[in-house]
Amino acid sequence: PGLQLQSGSGPATEVLCLMNMVMPDELKDDEEYEDILEDIREECSRYGIVRSVEIPRPVEGVEVPGVGKVFVEFNSVLDCQKAQQNLTGRKFANRVVVTSYFDPDRYHRRDF
Amino acid sequence: EAEERKRRRKSRWQGDEKDKTFIPGMPTVLPSNMSKDQEEAYLLQLQIEELSRRLRSNDLGISPNPEDRNGLHNRSPSPEPIYNNEGKRLNTREYRTRKKLEDDRHNCITRMLVINTDYKPPADYKPPVVKVSD
Repeated sequence: PGLQLQSGSGPATEVLCLMNMVMPDELKDDEEYEDILEDIREECSRYGIVRSVEIPRPVEGVEVPGVGKVFVEFNSVLDCQKAQQNLTGRKFANRVVVTSYFDPDRYHRRDF
Repeated sequence: EAEERKRRRKSRWQGDEKDKTFIPGMPTVLPSNMSKDQEEAYLLQLQIEELSRRLRSNDLGISPNPEDRNGLHNRSPSPEPIYNNEGKRLNTREYRTRKKLEDDRHNCITRMLVINTDYKPPADYKPPVVKVSD
């Protein structure tokens, strides 16, 4: 029903965007946020060298772009592909992980 | 102390590379050129399908281990028990977990109907009854 996906993943990049993983509410508490960050960094490191991780956090009364998404920058496109193959469709906190490649320039501009 | 916490807690990741969830007709790899609206609609649809599946198969994900982060919302402090007139407890963990899945699905469907007025909710979905107070 609804939208049909035909174009596949598109060209691979070294930045992986992980969706349907965290709820904005779960990112408010500092300790829970650090825990989530650690869980993601640890698992992603099994598939390659992780350069950086960005998890936009909600700010009261402000529309923060990318809240609910997780961005992981790998050392190479190959590492990122490996991580996507292994992580997509896995469950994180009972939610099915959805992935896509993300434009590195936009990532570095924090244009989420 | 931080080390201690690290050792005790369990990762939110479940299963491994061979243990994946397949939702019919809904791939989990998305193209990077989707619009924000398309992406939101797709993620809502995926959540609705998955929540419906869990409700139908009674897959509540209740973990007996209090350190299991994946069962986190199930391990909230138990509320005061409520009993019916036969002494049977009504607000059990199973009841509260199903209620949460139903509420989550309701919220997803409500949002979906805002962004896609042609959307048809699943056949087993019933909107919560709004009580009119007198």
